[in-house]
Amino acid sequence: MGKGVPAANKIKTDLHEILDIRHLTDSTFVLRIEKKDLEFEAGQHVCVGPPNGIHTREYSIYSAEQDEYIEILVKEVENGLVSPSLKKLQKGGYVVVEEPVGYFTINKDLPQTQKYVFIASGTGVSPFHSFVLSGKAENYTLLHGVKYASEAYESEAYDKDKYVLCTSQEDKGTFNGRVTDYLKANHFGADAHYYLCGNCNMIHDVYDILEEQGVSTDNIHAEVYF
Amino acid sequence: MKKRIGFKTLGCRLNQFETDALASKFVGLGYEVVENSKDTDVFIVNTCTVTNQSDQKSRYVVNNALNHGHTGMLVITGCMANNHKEQLEKRYPNAYVVDNQQKSTIPQLVEAHYNKEILPSNQNVGGVFDYAPAAETFHTRSMIKIQDGCDNYCTFCIIPKVRGRAVSRPVEDILENIRQVVGFGYKEVVITGVNISRYNYNGIGFSALLKQIVDIKLDFRVRISSIEPDSFDEEFFELLKHPKITPHLHLCLQSASESVLLQMRRMYTYKLYKRIVERLREIDPRFNITTDIIVGFPGETEADFQKSLDAVEELSFGHVHTFKYSKREDTRAARMSNVVPEQDKTLRSEELRQAANDSKINYRQQFIGEQLHVLVDTVKDGYSKGYGEYYVPVKINQSLERNRLYTVKITGIEAQGEEHNLIGVVQN
Repeated sequence: MGKGVPAANKIKTDLHEILDIRHLTDSTFVLRIEKKDLEFEAGQHVCVGPPNGIHTREYSIYSAEQDEYIEILVKEVENGLVSPSLKKLQKGGYVVVEEPVGYFTINKDLPQTQKYVFIASGTGVSPFHSFVLSGKAENYTLLHGVKYASEAYESEAYDKDKYVLCTSQEDKGTFNGRVTDYLKANHFGADAHYYLCGNCNMIHDVYDILEEQGVSTDNIHAEVYF
Repeated sequence: MKKRIGFKTLGCRLNQFETDALASKFVGLGYEVVENSKDTDVFIVNTCTVTNQSDQKSRYVVNNALNHGHTGMLVITGCMANNHKEQLEKRYPNAYVVDNQQKSTIPQLVEAHYNKEILPSNQNVGGVFDYAPAAETFHTRSMIKIQDGCDNYCTFCIIPKVRGRAVSRPVEDILENIRQVVGFGYKEVVITGVNISRYNYNGIGFSALLKQIVDIKLDFRVRISSIEPDSFDEEFFELLKHPKITPHLHLCLQSASESVLLQMRRMYTYKLYKRIVERLREIDPRFNITTDIIVGFPGETEADFQKSLDAVEELSFGHVHTFKYSKREDTRAARMSNVVPEQDKTLRSEELRQAANDSKINYRQQFIGEQLHVLVDTVKDGYSKGYGEYYVPVKINQSLERNRLYTVKITGIEAQGEEHNLIGVVQN
């Protein structure tokens, strides 16, 4: 048996201190926690939960690979088991964190000039925030679907001309309507790579639209948020 | 007098690989190895926990052994031991409950038990790849474990929790394992793991590994076991044309409804799956594709189910494992609403099984009049049975040599209960 082979592959869990909490809306906040020795690839997620509970939930990492901390973007779910507890935690408290995992990442073999279209609904913007801050994609357009413009979640992180805020309930975004409406009216081409992150319905509809536009499923990558 | 050790294995090929490796080790240690608990000094149950039914079957095997008077050492291992360790220890206080990470140390545990150095099982440091190549096993095909664990986190699946994170075995260990088992006389190796298409060891992916395997200058054939359709590359399709690789994949589908696949968090679409099948059948029109389909996943409508039913006919599966969705605690699907009533699941399951059976018969009939290379694994009562390169069972009405390849002309098909064996005559 070769050296360096893992004796076991149990999921590693650790307590991480909360370094900061930024409230972006009444229900959405960014939890900044100590990184310890957790290395990750932009687009991966971690399971996070309160320190005294047995439940955790998956959250895509919001911060950059090179940051000395890890951030997650959390939306409080009414009657949820985890997010309301996380919201009550304070700076200096602790959360349980499982090591990062996931395949929703940028293919390193693609050229630096590769064109990307990132399509998010709500807090599904989180992995794209990490992609952009980690310098994973330069030639990108981010379509962010929300109900209200207040849910643009720190959109100053993106180049203004690369960020399209689609607001479905008010006319304060770049585009008034759903991301799917925007995508039907604006074609990005079959050579782009499309990354979709958000709820099932959005992803399902976007798949259909892209198929009609002649995009191969090889160029579509999806991460479902529940 | 030799100590007698019995095994019962439930679930996947990975469990079979691990049982074979343990059994072979015990043979080397001087034990007599059998496949039941009767008159054994040690009985080892390698459990499965993928569905509620798997848990029930695993418990049944243990209870059945105890009810039939097994008083020797009892070892319960496998995924159920990971998922329900405390419950099992409480229910079977005299059993050793050994999780997957320690499974490879069971021979030391048994030896320690008989040397009166009784060790709690959790003090042995094992490893998920710490199995010696198996010379003596229950199979004529040698399982080769290349990978363990899974990071896909499908919403219905408990396996990442019980098998842990994906880890890949070093390339050289795998190649050496194959050289050794071929040296032992095996004609066929089965590439096994929890999620083998995600194999990655120091940047060497599954296709690159497979290339090195087929390049081994020894005479053997390679079967790829269960594989996920989410990460195929061009090199893989090219490799499937290699004469050492058998034209069969167990390609997990789970559902043909795009919306159900998304809810399951599967990492492919039905359209992609269909395209893969088309490419496989371009390589070989008779390429055998077998699969798993779950019926009654939360939110599955009649229309969704109909898509899975249609897929069975559309894709001409050689075999379909039909599972009724089974809620596993601590998975995302366990928290989903729109649960499908049990009676609907049963009806859908029956309907799918019937369609799958028809598809299987249709698939197998195309071999009548053709020649297959059959590896004989069973010889008894004047007949022999084995599997051809397409992984279809073939029965020959004469006593042949076990673990030998024969060229067999297929002359018909014979129903035996739900199974439909091809019937053939030896050509060489």
